[in-house]
Amino acid sequence: MNYRASLAGFKQAFINFIADPQWIIPSIIAPFIFTIVALMIYNDSSGPVVLQAVLGGGVLGMWGNTLYSSGWSISYDRYNGTLEPLMVSPTKIMDVVAGRAVWHTIIGLSNAVLVFVVAEIMFDTSLTLQNPLLFFAVLIMTLFSLASIGLIFSAFFVLTRTSSVLMSSLEFPIYVVSGALFPVTLLPSWASWVSLGLAPAWGVDAMRYAAFGAFETMDLLTDVGVMIILIVAYLVIAAGLFRRIERNVRSHGNMGRF
Amino acid sequence: MVDKRAVDDVTFQVKKGEIFGLLGPNGAGKTTTIKMLCTLLLPTSGDASVLGKSILKDDKDIRKRINLVSGGERGLYYRLTGRQNLRFFSELYGIPPATREARIEELLQLVGLGHAADVRVEDYSRGMKQRMHIARALVNDPDILFLDEPTIGLDPEISRDIRALVKKMADNGTTILLTTHYMFEAEELCDRIAVINNGKIVAMGTAQELKDLVKSSTVIEVVTVLDPQECFESLKQTPGVMNVVSDRFSGRHLNRFQVEKREELFDVINDALRPYRIVRAGYDEPTLEDTYISLVSHNEL
Repeated sequence: MNYRASLAGFKQAFINFIADPQWIIPSIIAPFIFTIVALMIYNDSSGPVVLQAVLGGGVLGMWGNTLYSSGWSISYDRYNGTLEPLMVSPTKIMDVVAGRAVWHTIIGLSNAVLVFVVAEIMFDTSLTLQNPLLFFAVLIMTLFSLASIGLIFSAFFVLTRTSSVLMSSLEFPIYVVSGALFPVTLLPSWASWVSLGLAPAWGVDAMRYAAFGAFETMDLLTDVGVMIILIVAYLVIAAGLFRRIERNVRSHGNMGRF
Repeated sequence: MVDKRAVDDVTFQVKKGEIFGLLGPNGAGKTTTIKMLCTLLLPTSGDASVLGKSILKDDKDIRKRINLVSGGERGLYYRLTGRQNLRFFSELYGIPPATREARIEELLQLVGLGHAADVRVEDYSRGMKQRMHIARALVNDPDILFLDEPTIGLDPEISRDIRALVKKMADNGTTILLTTHYMFEAEELCDRIAVINNGKIVAMGTAQELKDLVKSSTVIEVVTVLDPQECFESLKQTPGVMNVVSDRFSGRHLNRFQVEKREELFDVINDALRPYRIVRAGYDEPTLEDTYISLVSHNEL
């Protein structure tokens, strides 16, 4: 891993965020709407159900942001015609994209904070977190799990010029199987199996434990442990995919097209 | 999909510090060759050695010591300023922070963009972007710089500035491999030139050596008031006429016929062009462009 390149990608994403106001849509407006919708669905409810709605709104916003940023990461280079200069450099594209993903993870965290603020101010949910530190730690890990899935998608986006179509089609299935808006146990069994392979689904579960307070340590450790294993697996898969796809792109020499 | 070899068994060597030109028509294989040497494209067979390293096995080592400038507007981050672009690419090459800012300032001065360093690239003119491309490609102080049609679409003044920059880089010891469509550019800049057509090198040498390839021929230059294009086809069929090039200048038509050295051809051509109101006619030495046209139209002499 080339940390300098990742830092360069991080700083670049930050500068672009400041320079390009369109980021307000996935980073601020979308999670705001998700939370309002979720809280309206669960209107007149209280306790765990409201928390589920707030968590759901937050995760949906974070996922939308992750997906948008992972698609953006490569389309941005295609648009600017910078994939060739990037590939001529000795840096792996994944290192740069990872840096950008970390920036968007931080933005995802601001989504989460915004969601809680909206819930408190507009819906007067009076939420209390039983284990705020634990909750925060699991939230950060969940964000990283989203970012690592985003890296896998970014690798595919190197291959295609239609990343926006892919992004749109990938957005909603994850909303359902991640357990963000309702527990995955309510889904058909095949969908529950899919969610087992999704690190954010384990993260949402762990956040629920941390928020409610009443949990078996083993259950929480299982959630966190599986999430870490899945994050590592995602990173390994992303690295392998980037390697293969970079080779594929070098075989066809089409990275300059937009 | 057309099954065509873009580059076919091309072999050439470039010496350290040399400016080597690849000349050829569109689709001849120039950019494909450059992309392979830059490790952007894998050859379907064969290998090439850049700085003594294989483009197949040592791509990462090669990339540290080369860079590429492509013609056209794209290739920079538009929302970032010129300085931010250079900083980003410097970081990709691992340039230490201690030397990075001084190097960026030096490059901005070199390409004459010191005054626009903190302006977003989207507000640059075409010429400024091209100069920024060159600065971007110099961030790692490359041993070899690949320039793929660096002056394409630029006005004459900016093109001259870019050529001056290329000369300056070569004077500083950078080896340069350049592709271009412009003969005068190749003649002015290149120590040696390879003419490539249909994926094969059809001739290679200094500009003078290439011109010597057609020294058995001469050029009859006829300036006419009217456009004589319609009679070119029949003239091309005349034994001894090798090729015809016609250009407009100052409202006149400059027609150059590359022909074998035979007295009677002068009269044949003048007779054919008389209806188009000849202003003047005479002999000229074959230029690099005449040689090039001859090479790419016949593929061999």
